[in-house]
Amino acid sequence: MIDAELRAFLEDAVGIHLGTRNQELEPNGVRAVAAAVEEGGSHLVVYVARVAAERVLHDLEANGQVAVSFGRPVDERACQVKGVFEGARDAREDEKARVMAQWDSFRDNLEQIGIVRLTYGAWVTWPCVAIRLKVTALFNQTPGPGTGGPLP
Amino acid sequence: MSATLESLATCFQGLLPAQLFTCSADGTPNAAYLSHVEYVDSHHVALSYQFFNKSKRNISENPRALVLVPDPDTGQGWRLRLRFCRSETEGPLFERMALRIEAIASYCGLKGIFKLRAADVYEVLGVEPATEEKAACTVAERRGALPDPVFTLRALQHLSERIHRADSLEALVDSILGGLEESFGFRQSMILVPAEEPGVLVTIATRGYPEDGAGAEVRIGEGIAGVVAEARKPIRISGLMRGMLYALAMHRQATGERPRPRIALPGLPSPESQLGVPLLVRGELVGVLCLESETPYRFHEEDKKSIELLGSYLAIAIQNMQLQERAQEPLETPPEAAAARAAQAAPAGAAPREVTWYAADECILVDGEYLIRSLPAKILWRLLTTHEKTGRAEFTNRELRLDKSLNLPEWKDNLESRLLLLRRRLEQKCPEIRLVPVCRGRFALELACELRLEMRP
Repeated sequence: MIDAELRAFLEDAVGIHLGTRNQELEPNGVRAVAAAVEEGGSHLVVYVARVAAERVLHDLEANGQVAVSFGRPVDERACQVKGVFEGARDAREDEKARVMAQWDSFRDNLEQIGIVRLTYGAWVTWPCVAIRLKVTALFNQTPGPGTGGPLP
Repeated sequence: MSATLESLATCFQGLLPAQLFTCSADGTPNAAYLSHVEYVDSHHVALSYQFFNKSKRNISENPRALVLVPDPDTGQGWRLRLRFCRSETEGPLFERMALRIEAIASYCGLKGIFKLRAADVYEVLGVEPATEEKAACTVAERRGALPDPVFTLRALQHLSERIHRADSLEALVDSILGGLEESFGFRQSMILVPAEEPGVLVTIATRGYPEDGAGAEVRIGEGIAGVVAEARKPIRISGLMRGMLYALAMHRQATGERPRPRIALPGLPSPESQLGVPLLVRGELVGVLCLESETPYRFHEEDKKSIELLGSYLAIAIQNMQLQERAQEPLETPPEAAAARAAQAAPAGAAPREVTWYAADECILVDGEYLIRSLPAKILWRLLTTHEKTGRAEFTNRELRLDKSLNLPEWKDNLESRLLLLRRRLEQKCPEIRLVPVCRGRFALELACELRLEMRP
């Protein structure tokens, strides 16, 4: 479902947000730190700082509906992955280097558009919870007339 | 910890991307980036609606939303729980948001592609901190590292004193730009005035750019200056880089093309904050003042009233100076006896320069390089040809006004600003020709080389 080109984008210097909702259809969401596409492209793992994950896990366990947005600050390319929650676990120490490398790429990208590191120096990025979801749909979110349309 | 909306003013400058979370009636969540969150009042914010998308559809089904927006000063992220109230397609809020978008689009050469369809107003039900986006410092610590507040009373007094000392239009515009640097720290600035050609502004003074920029033109409605002139309202833009990237991404999506290069006004390579102020006297546009800074969020919300007041004050000062210069002009044409002055000024051995007048285009080239066009070009050609025929080297503003070949309007001809523009262009492109003020309303033509005049159709 997620091809190689899109996978490279999702796992690179992008800002990631994970959206959920509760039983009353109240929207909820958090910033995520990194993402990894599983082989075959049908599943995605999103790494969310544990302090933030606590806010969305209840929703995920209750209804399973999830949306993840990806945006690259330097050119505003953006897309959204819709999916169904399949499980959550603590991120392993052997995943930390890859998660932090992705986060650093995102910070480099922010710096390229003039946002100084001081601003987000205290954002919490570890320990993380790895949230696994089955991908159900992909949408283009780059600003413009085609925004919101399905990705091939 | 909680916060009031007022205390989050910096979050609404568009410096850091915000995120909008919505949910459809069937329970599918949606997460999308937001171009702009606007503060409305202590209980409301507005989100820009530019394209009909999933977020918009969701809101029509389920009015609840969540916005996650970081504070660019401290890094603290804030969660705003919202409920949709209404869409505004006119009125002050819509105009303010539309103007900002239009100015950014126009700055990128994308005017008309990038438009606001509505300002969607939301009631803020709650504000709470985002635990993953913790503050790296306090507002006071961050602000301590930033430049001082901008339009302080003391700085305005200093600027006013400088302006009062100016005794000509040239000295006045230089005083304004110099004062803005010394009293406010604005190193890059420019003043544009309406050109003879309707719908065009021309730059008469700049400060802080490698290229002088005098004579650079912009159409009304294009770029920050052009949009300010069109709307006759000040425009303050922070986070310009993000806005531009957003506009360019939208353009690529719409056309698959790169935009045309923008008009070559002087400018910073990477401006982060821009401020354009219309200079209005009783509704008449005297000019536009533009300031730039590489510092994000350089122009603060609380400065807005001061900015408008400053614009009115500068406009009156410029218009008064133009009227004063005109009123004090000598009535007589200088005697022919002033002829020898130019000949004496030209040193032997200086390389001659070729000055060519293109009548159809009303423009002058020096040694094949563009110098100036329109009324300032006509004035220069008139001075040079008169000098060549009669040897005269002193001229008055009054005789230029009475010269029907120049076709100056009888009322508000702005001759002083045209002469100032001409002087600046000569300093920049042909310093061998100088227009030197002799007294109020009278100036001398000084030549430091031989000129070869040529007229072409």
